[in-house]
Amino acid sequence: MAIISRALGRHAGEQSRLSSLAGLSSWSSCLNRTCSLNYHSRSISSASTPMLKKAWDTQADQYKFWNREESISGQAQMMLDMSPESIQKEARILCLSADDDAANNPLLDKLPFGSRLLHVGSQSTDFPDKLVDESPNVLFVSPSCPHARLILPLVLAKFPTIEWIHVRSAGIDFLESDELPWVGKKGIVMTNAKGQFSSSLAEYVMMACSYFAKDIPRLLKNKGAKKWDDFEIEELRGKTMGIVGYGDIGRSAAKLASVFGMKVIALRRNPEKSEFDPICDEVLGTGRLALQKLMSVSDYVVCSAPSTVETRGMVNADAFKASKKNQVFINLGRGPVVDEDALVEALQNGTLRGAALDVFATEPLPADHALWDLDQVLISPHNMDRTATFMHEATEFFVNENLPRFMLGHSLLNPVDVSLGY
Amino acid sequence: MHMNIPACYSFAIASLAPLQLRSAATAFRLVSYPSPRVVPTSLRPSVCVGNNNSLISNNSPATSLRMMSYWNRETCQPTSQYKGEITKEARILALCDPHDAYNKPLYDGPLPEGSKLLAVGSTLADFDNESIINQDPNVIFVSHPNARGPLVELLNKFPSVEWVHTRSAGVDFIASDGLFSSPVQLTNAKGMFSSTLAEYCMMACAYFAKDLPRLMRQKNDVNWEQYPVLEIRGATLGVVGFGDIGRSSAKLAKAYGMKVLGLKRSIPESFSDPYCDEIYDMKGLVELVQKSDYILIATPLTEQTRGLISKEVLQQCKKTAVIINVGRGPIIDEEALIEALTNGDIKGAGLDVMTVEPLPKDSQLWKLDNVLLSPHNMDMTLSFMQESTEFFINENLPRFVRGIELLNPVDKSAGY
Repeated sequence: MAIISRALGRHAGEQSRLSSLAGLSSWSSCLNRTCSLNYHSRSISSASTPMLKKAWDTQADQYKFWNREESISGQAQMMLDMSPESIQKEARILCLSADDDAANNPLLDKLPFGSRLLHVGSQSTDFPDKLVDESPNVLFVSPSCPHARLILPLVLAKFPTIEWIHVRSAGIDFLESDELPWVGKKGIVMTNAKGQFSSSLAEYVMMACSYFAKDIPRLLKNKGAKKWDDFEIEELRGKTMGIVGYGDIGRSAAKLASVFGMKVIALRRNPEKSEFDPICDEVLGTGRLALQKLMSVSDYVVCSAPSTVETRGMVNADAFKASKKNQVFINLGRGPVVDEDALVEALQNGTLRGAALDVFATEPLPADHALWDLDQVLISPHNMDRTATFMHEATEFFVNENLPRFMLGHSLLNPVDVSLGY
Repeated sequence: MHMNIPACYSFAIASLAPLQLRSAATAFRLVSYPSPRVVPTSLRPSVCVGNNNSLISNNSPATSLRMMSYWNRETCQPTSQYKGEITKEARILALCDPHDAYNKPLYDGPLPEGSKLLAVGSTLADFDNESIINQDPNVIFVSHPNARGPLVELLNKFPSVEWVHTRSAGVDFIASDGLFSSPVQLTNAKGMFSSTLAEYCMMACAYFAKDLPRLMRQKNDVNWEQYPVLEIRGATLGVVGFGDIGRSSAKLAKAYGMKVLGLKRSIPESFSDPYCDEIYDMKGLVELVQKSDYILIATPLTEQTRGLISKEVLQQCKKTAVIINVGRGPIIDEEALIEALTNGDIKGAGLDVMTVEPLPKDSQLWKLDNVLLSPHNMDMTLSFMQESTEFFINENLPRFVRGIELLNPVDKSAGY
């Protein structure tokens, strides 16, 4: 069955790649109806394009990362349903989260056969000692758990049988601590929700660009004053978008930007991974000079990097000094990646035309922060990926995708490199 | 009545817009449906018209001759070289405001070989003199907003005029029996403004999906309150008037992951468009409106479309629907729209065009919170009108003097 499905997948995969590049979602849905065992769209090019091999899990013959738009869901679950005897190990789950977190409901309701939820708690003392005898091997961590960075090592010390930690959010900076690297060394696999929120955030990026290009603030001001003032607007077409941190979110934004006719320049730790990426025009590596180059050519800069030891304070006064004239800065990664004081300074002295910020160094943003008063800033309370179901979907991803894979002994999706911090 | 487009056929059938070469050498590049990025400039075809620079494969069933003769700013490359001898002179009258800076390429020149500008004016009197009459003008370029009456007078005065070109996409401002019954060929600026308006369409969708008004209010109140946002992905965009503007918007909408329903007055025999999931004719308007979360009005203003979005149609919309109008104000019954917005029968509206422009100060639209108002400027880039004039000068004028078929023909019987 695996061979047939792989052959089907190769054919289907090519079409899926075409459609994903062109944004033809109707293609994927057509294929979903006809061939249910499709592999991820990149399958066809694995032989030819070296870039893809690095993110390619040869054992599973698929991409290691999940993208909500492009990935086909339910494969592992289907395999489990069809042949329950291929279960390699049981999943005994502990859940570390706030007590009343409703987004964990899929965990409580519909776990696949072969897995059990042992306990939900928000501190290591919440988990009764006798649970140690049941050898829990999976830890599900939700960002709603307060002081998670302190509690995680305690829980792991209490339950040494944990093999796998799944984090419900994309960012794992909330777990950062001195003890965390030890997790990686111990051989515990960590996965996260990368790719779950990318399309919503890409929509936000384009909205933020249009907000400044079509000058929505001016439109609203004129409306309030009942003033008919037909001013000239800017097109996004032909402009350049610079993406700092070209991960899944960055790429989703780039995909939309390229359909709009924008030029895309990307910056990432491993530029060779995007060498053959048809969506971005240029890929840069990290470093001060690379960032300055990106700042100097971009009309719209999107910061979607995770917060790690390397990226903290990366976009600083130095970078803003190199900014292109009338640049718009959009931050939807993590606040600490940008030097907030330098950002405020750049906005106040006119270096930047404006900024759209969904994330901040301190959240909630303190009421006395200078950003609230700046007219040219669009502030959103870290909610631009907050659809009604987004956290439920993140939990469902764990339940429907990674949990079956764990039980079948397959590689897990969305592996996190703990030493790198993302 | 509507047709489901089998998505698997759409790739096999050539596109409607002038498109890429189907040669093996470039096959690796042709993977995506027109993304301006993927096809390198050197390979991007110029506009395909008749036998000149024709790069469309002729076995594309979906393309009628009419479809091939349009200019789209995104996908068409300027024609660098014209084949063919110059067979006639173009003697141009410009029915325009002489101080209109956008027409500088026309007024100051240089004009292509074989063309000359005779005079610029806004009324018949400006052109009523011996020297102009003796030169037998054969082309009229129109951009003056009050050109409706004078144009007919000019056509009557100068029977030698063969061709009228208007700088705008809409011809409703010069529509008249006199014009439509005359034998002149009429061309316009269709496709000039489509991509900018498509950007506006997605901005208007996001404005309501992410509740931008709430963001601005919360900022004003220094209120950090996390609220859920809607996704555009998975929502349905109903495009009333699936012409060039509608199609450009659909292209963006598809990239966002929306479902697109289109409505056309006349659906060609084997209509297939990867940017349109379902196509409806005029009778299917209500069904389209019932299924759509965002409704884009992108039809021209004709007798058929005036008041098309009536009170009854508005009542069939979803309560969460957003109406976006980039066509012409009179297509929507403005009174009924204001009522629907006030009563909460629809969620909101993004209006770039209104029945009366400038919008009178006493209009309710100014005060409604759920309306995104813009003063008919969502296509007004710094260069748009200049580009439109340049299109006339660089594309259609050289075609005219060589006897090649002109781009962007207007169907006078249809009114657009």
